[in-house]
Amino acid sequence: MSTVHPTTGPAADAAPGTAAPAPSRKRPPMTDAERRARKRRRRRSALAGSVLRYLILGSWAIFCLAPVVWFLSIGLRPRTEIITPQPIYWPSFSLDAWHMIWADWPMGAYLRNSVLAIVGSVIIDLALAIPAAYSLARYHYKGRDDIGFYILSTRMMAPAIVAIPIFFLFKNLNLLDSVWALMLVYAALNLSLVTWIIRSYMLDLPHEIEDAARTDGASDLSVLFLVIVPMCAPGIVTAAVIAAIFAINEFLFTLLIASTQNAYTLSVALANFTGGSDGIIYNAIALVAFIAFLPILLLVLVVQKHLSRGLTMGAVKG
Amino acid sequence: MATFAPASEPPPADAGKNGRAVRKPARRRPAWRRRLFPYLLVAPAVLYLLTITLYPGIYAIYQSLFFVRFDTWTFVGLDNYRELMGDEEFWMAMWNTVVIGGWALAIEFTIALTLAVLAYRDPFIRGWRIVFLLPMLFMPSAVSFIWKLAFNDGRVISDLLMGIGLIDGPLDFLGNVGLARLSLIVTDVWQWTPFLFIIFVAALQGQDPEVEEAARLDGASWWKLFWNISLPIMKPIIAVALILRAIDITTMFTSVFIITGGTPGGTTETISYFIYRIGFKTFNFGYASAASFVMLVITIVVAQLFVKRFFITSRA
Repeated sequence: MSTVHPTTGPAADAAPGTAAPAPSRKRPPMTDAERRARKRRRRRSALAGSVLRYLILGSWAIFCLAPVVWFLSIGLRPRTEIITPQPIYWPSFSLDAWHMIWADWPMGAYLRNSVLAIVGSVIIDLALAIPAAYSLARYHYKGRDDIGFYILSTRMMAPAIVAIPIFFLFKNLNLLDSVWALMLVYAALNLSLVTWIIRSYMLDLPHEIEDAARTDGASDLSVLFLVIVPMCAPGIVTAAVIAAIFAINEFLFTLLIASTQNAYTLSVALANFTGGSDGIIYNAIALVAFIAFLPILLLVLVVQKHLSRGLTMGAVKG
Repeated sequence: MATFAPASEPPPADAGKNGRAVRKPARRRPAWRRRLFPYLLVAPAVLYLLTITLYPGIYAIYQSLFFVRFDTWTFVGLDNYRELMGDEEFWMAMWNTVVIGGWALAIEFTIALTLAVLAYRDPFIRGWRIVFLLPMLFMPSAVSFIWKLAFNDGRVISDLLMGIGLIDGPLDFLGNVGLARLSLIVTDVWQWTPFLFIIFVAALQGQDPEVEEAARLDGASWWKLFWNISLPIMKPIIAVALILRAIDITTMFTSVFIITGGTPGGTTETISYFIYRIGFKTFNFGYASAASFVMLVITIVVAQLFVKRFFITSRA
């Protein structure tokens, strides 16, 4: 990186000594000794600033990491060492939870439901969003901005508002407790997001390439799928990843729709790791949390550069 | 933006494709079909979204006029709305949502902006970003259990606070209004501060390094640099980020469901949880639908007032 941080680095040191007459215009000229002293003060305050800065960043890093490490230790300890009168910070190691989630709970079904619902919903989203985004980004027509805003505004709605009608909709369709219902709901919840992210990437593409393809006789649809889609692939991948993460996270609708292992996903299955009188089985919950965490981490690393743009639905160009 | 882009070559894929380049331009389709085309492209997405907004909206209005007991619907007119307006629990849920959400948003914003300003030119920014991002990558239900265990069941927070001598005995985080709300706020802050941090860092990194360098050589302090140069550039981005975060905070459900369940005495019940509880725990669907419809109207008004400006006008 060519620049340095405001409080540290050569710029802070160089400024007073070499070429900084502007701020001291009204003061009498400094002697050499004064100048050196000032330089030292600056350097010392820069050092202090740097220490303080790392102290703050470091504290927040610890605040981020400590619960993660501690929760991992919960997953790898026996149940008897979780809820105790005095918290145990150095527990004994045990894979009890690992064996338990596979033996006592249908983890396979939970995983399958999650993957099916998420992948299905992302495919639906892309199929609907790519043409819609193209239409919003490239054509001028009456009502375009209103349509765009309508699509966007569905993101503003609290899921709970539509929970009851959606519940009855699936009840009437006989789709309660099915992965299909989850797929359709996730797709609907994320569609606005996906459309807006892809639209933002399409807006950045130069018109010339499309125009050239059109002059060559390509139809509108082949321009879209053979020219536009490959060029905004990073945007499409980012949108897909963010939609997948939100789908993994979804809780309310899954809670309402799923009632057995036919449709339980990891997110809601967590809330079912209770054993009657045993209470909440935290070590199993912790392990499942990490099982879901790993693929999300991988996906996010893939799109890291585009993450800020995706999270703001295209408003920030990361 | 597209208009400033350099003229590009025609894509080789098309030019080279078995003589397509010499083929005659496609015959012109009738004007009405060309005008219809963009509508056809956007129609499937709009229709799909209408089924989760317009249909539920109409359904909620209709159902809110009935008293629903299992499969028997009794028409009651506007009674549900009348009852709702006088329902203390409903207003309390609104107030809780504002209090919990407001605090969480303010804290997240302050921390995220501070961290972003401190870190964005740091040589280890990539490392900080990954570490700070981690909480966001866990499922919200998992995060809720992490903090439920830390606050209540495992008493870890109490133990740590006792360890440094701040309190004498374990705290009951579910028995006290402030503490119960605090546990929801901490949960949200831990998981979602990264959301704002990532966006703010990207915005700060996006500014011209040479302007910064020049300002610094002129002797501007980092505070002046931030206040006079960075902040004005960031304002629209801050607005968008805060709007998105505010939307998600006001719809807070998972952590309430898992951590507090609305206790003590409904003081942590958010509006989402209220609708869920009335609908799916007491099965008073008509009443819950009335609450849903009121919320829908509020959402539409807020979206029209605030959101339209920042998303539509900022991008032509």
